[in-house]
Amino acid sequence: MTTQLPPGIQLENIDDRIMTLNVGPQHPGSGHMRLIIKVDGDYIVSCDPDPGYVHRGEEKMAEYRNYIQNIPHLERPVIHDSSNILYPYCLAVEELLGIEVPERAKYIRVIAAELNRCIYILYWLAIYGIFLGHSTMFMWPAGDRELFIDLLEAMSGARVTHAYLVPGGVRNDLPANFEERCLRQVDYFEKRLKEYQAVFYKNPILISRTEGTGILSRTDAIRLGTTGSVLRASGVNFDIRKKEPYDVYENLDFEPVVMKEGDSYARSYVPYLEMFESCRIIRDAIRKMPKSGSVRTKLKPNPKGGNDEVYKRVESGRGALGYYIVSNNRPEPYRVKISVGSFRNLICMPYLLKGELLGNMPAVYWSLNYWPVEADR
Amino acid sequence: MSTAGGIIRALNSGVKHLAIRRFTLRYPEQKLKFVGDGFQFNPETGVGIAGLRGRHILYHEHCTGCQLCSVACEGIAEAIGMVKVNETWKQNKKAIMPQIDYGKCVFCGLCVDACPFYALYMTNDYELSSFTKSALIYTPAQLAIKPKISQDVEIKIDDRGASHG
Repeated sequence: MTTQLPPGIQLENIDDRIMTLNVGPQHPGSGHMRLIIKVDGDYIVSCDPDPGYVHRGEEKMAEYRNYIQNIPHLERPVIHDSSNILYPYCLAVEELLGIEVPERAKYIRVIAAELNRCIYILYWLAIYGIFLGHSTMFMWPAGDRELFIDLLEAMSGARVTHAYLVPGGVRNDLPANFEERCLRQVDYFEKRLKEYQAVFYKNPILISRTEGTGILSRTDAIRLGTTGSVLRASGVNFDIRKKEPYDVYENLDFEPVVMKEGDSYARSYVPYLEMFESCRIIRDAIRKMPKSGSVRTKLKPNPKGGNDEVYKRVESGRGALGYYIVSNNRPEPYRVKISVGSFRNLICMPYLLKGELLGNMPAVYWSLNYWPVEADR
Repeated sequence: MSTAGGIIRALNSGVKHLAIRRFTLRYPEQKLKFVGDGFQFNPETGVGIAGLRGRHILYHEHCTGCQLCSVACEGIAEAIGMVKVNETWKQNKKAIMPQIDYGKCVFCGLCVDACPFYALYMTNDYELSSFTKSALIYTPAQLAIKPKISQDVEIKIDDRGASHG
């Protein structure tokens, strides 16, 4: 029964048992992306992630703006982790333009980055809760996130897109009594975090849905090139803050969180434990920070980079985040390439979802710490 | 850990929160207090002064019509345009001053960083909604008005948890 098809149209071979499901691109369980899932009954046969629905050409836009004008639009891909996505950009531009950063500014940047990491992880955890039908776990992190948003608002003046880090330091000094207020809220937050244990992480319903699903072995994690919490949940001790310390991370006291199970539970537990480490870093940074001094090196108007290229990377909430910047003696960069952790982790989705129950798809998908807007850039 | 025990512990942890004060800020009645009078910038040191980045305030007696704020906004939001004003200031021969379209502004505050004459700052006023698009365009005269704000609620942390006021 071959029917003549119009040119350009193909039909896939239809098997009676296999059914194709499009999850997304406008689906609460997928974010701004599409997962083409083939199911046999309740089991996933294959999964083909289809990103690109929120591509907005950040890299091309960066070629038409000078090094300062690039700041507001470059933080748009991850508005709730905006300090971490600007961090490598600032480090790269500083090397390109040969700027020294004051010591106090380095500590302030670390505090801003760690507060922002907590904001990101809480947001991610809230959505992970609602994906698994746990609405309390949506309310609690979304409420506790407010503590850190208020701190960053006092620091930078904006609640979400801070535009706080700039090449040469930070925009403004800390407000009066900030250290005291920050320590008080971080202490309270740690107390709150411990309450998440009973309601979420030790909850038998969560454990039965996530433990043993989507197992990524240590060798596979390295072979597929994953980064961040996905890699550390598979037993690889790799954290850029420790391995290639930038700014003042080498002076600060913290340990990367590593688990060896590699399942969805471990991948959701590692970011949670990382928040405790972030609180530790913030406390240590406030203690070691110089009490006064400049926070920003004054730039020339419209600074020009030489004929040079730089690659800098940091550990963001979703893994390694790097900027590759090429300049050619102009006030604008010649090429900006953003390498994001989300896109690196996307590759393991077809491997993890194969043979899984369809109902476990959200648990596996969101445990990968994938942020579609950042991956598309 | 048994399944039933775990579920009871999870429920118990939630039930405890019935006795805890609510954290939610009841927004139109309560308004959060911010540090300082808004984001300001000291062009001599090149460092800003911490504060909320709300709507701008323009000091007519300092503005020279140099257009640096408008140039800074090019390629970011293109919200600032220079318009003619019916005022005579001796530092502003051209008699032009910035007009800001809050439908476009992203509140990054880089225009404040660009102003070398202490003329453009930001304020704590963030309630800018209007019924028409044209009302979002603030003329230099509107920008000169100091906003009336009453923001006094802070996060309070005690043994019974955190709350707003």
